[in-house]
Amino acid sequence: MHPQNSSILIDFVTQNQISPQMMRPDRVGHFLKQGLLAVLLGVVCAVPVMAAPIQLPAIVEPASQEHHFGKVILVELVTPDLAASKQFYSGLFGWTFHDVQASGKAYAEALLDGRPVAGLFHKNVPSGEHRQPAWLSFISVGDVDTAKKVALQNGAKVLFEPHSLPDRGREAVFADPQGAVFAVLASSSGDPSDVLAAPGDWIWSSLITSDPDNAAGFYQKLFDYEVFELPASEGAKHLLLASDNYARASLNTLPVNKPNAHPHWLNYVRVEDAVKMTAKVLALGGRVLIEPRIDRQGGKVAVVADPLGAAFGLLEWPDTESKEVPK
Amino acid sequence: MKILLLRWLAFAFVVLTLTVLLSGCVVTDGGYGYYDDGDIGAAYYGPADVYYGGWGPAYHVAPYRGGEHRETSEGGHASTRAYRAAPASRSMPSIPSGSRSGGSHSGGSRSH
Repeated sequence: MHPQNSSILIDFVTQNQISPQMMRPDRVGHFLKQGLLAVLLGVVCAVPVMAAPIQLPAIVEPASQEHHFGKVILVELVTPDLAASKQFYSGLFGWTFHDVQASGKAYAEALLDGRPVAGLFHKNVPSGEHRQPAWLSFISVGDVDTAKKVALQNGAKVLFEPHSLPDRGREAVFADPQGAVFAVLASSSGDPSDVLAAPGDWIWSSLITSDPDNAAGFYQKLFDYEVFELPASEGAKHLLLASDNYARASLNTLPVNKPNAHPHWLNYVRVEDAVKMTAKVLALGGRVLIEPRIDRQGGKVAVVADPLGAAFGLLEWPDTESKEVPK
Repeated sequence: MKILLLRWLAFAFVVLTLTVLLSGCVVTDGGYGYYDDGDIGAAYYGPADVYYGGWGPAYHVAPYRGGEHRETSEGGHASTRAYRAAPASRSMPSIPSGSRSGGSHSGGSRSH
């Protein structure tokens, strides 16, 4: 507020509300003016400081012009105990962290061999909420606002309106028609290259959902995926979503008749030995949600949770067994 | 005079409190566990005690590997699907195989 306006306001108040009997010499009025100005100044200064955006790191450094729409290009974890989360993932995968702090908020960029692999940020669980940390998948799009429009037209809910972040790009968070939460990101630094993930890096994603058919239709409209049908057990569906001639995610039926079974995205970290890694998870205070099991072609998968409850998968993948399929 | 001063202090306190609340506002999402943290991005807490399991023997989640013959699903009719299935002639894609140092990238990547 302009000081002159403050003065006018005070003059107005003093003229209309302070009776002559109450009027003391100029000292009081002067004190009042100064006090009010100090408060107003404090408010005016506090707003921009509190609203100063935290500078999140770019997801690709150095920046590239490469884009892979439909690919999970970032995963982020919100945690009520950043130090404990960092300790766990550092011990499990050898991640190191680059801390970013601003306005009392803490964010840690997770690095594997110096390359960004994830983001962790601190936020307390709102009181009265029975929630647990979760990894959030960010899928590459060219235009977040167009994605929002398509998502809404096809039954999604917008949980976080399109929002630009310095160095990061533009992002939004949606719940798909079945309720699985995911984010879209138009990265201003480009998307990570399509290379085989190193052990300790994210390699795969799956959407486990109550209605795979309709979910496939929804995500195909949003990301222009090719959808491949795979053999599945009776009553279940297994689909594969692909873009740029690469498999991007699987889509599986959510096991039925189970309490607390919610449609969700699950991301997998590449490991060399799922059995050894699940033992390590336990040693570090985590939990094993699905024991290592043989998946397709002999490789093992497991689902684990960190000590604060965030679930993620472990997937064995030999170096030589991937394939790009030319169109 | 003291009363007047207290009034103004109370008014200032209310303004300050409202400002703090508005600038650091928490927007609930109607049950999804998502909270708008304003400037930091997505603050997503999932539902607690989510059930994992019930994966039968044929429940597979991993991608196909290179060189594999494509099996096809026997169920489903094209007319009832909510999606366009890739033609049967298309080979099953796998995940990227190139190494970081080798610089092998997808031929389908888009540059802008």
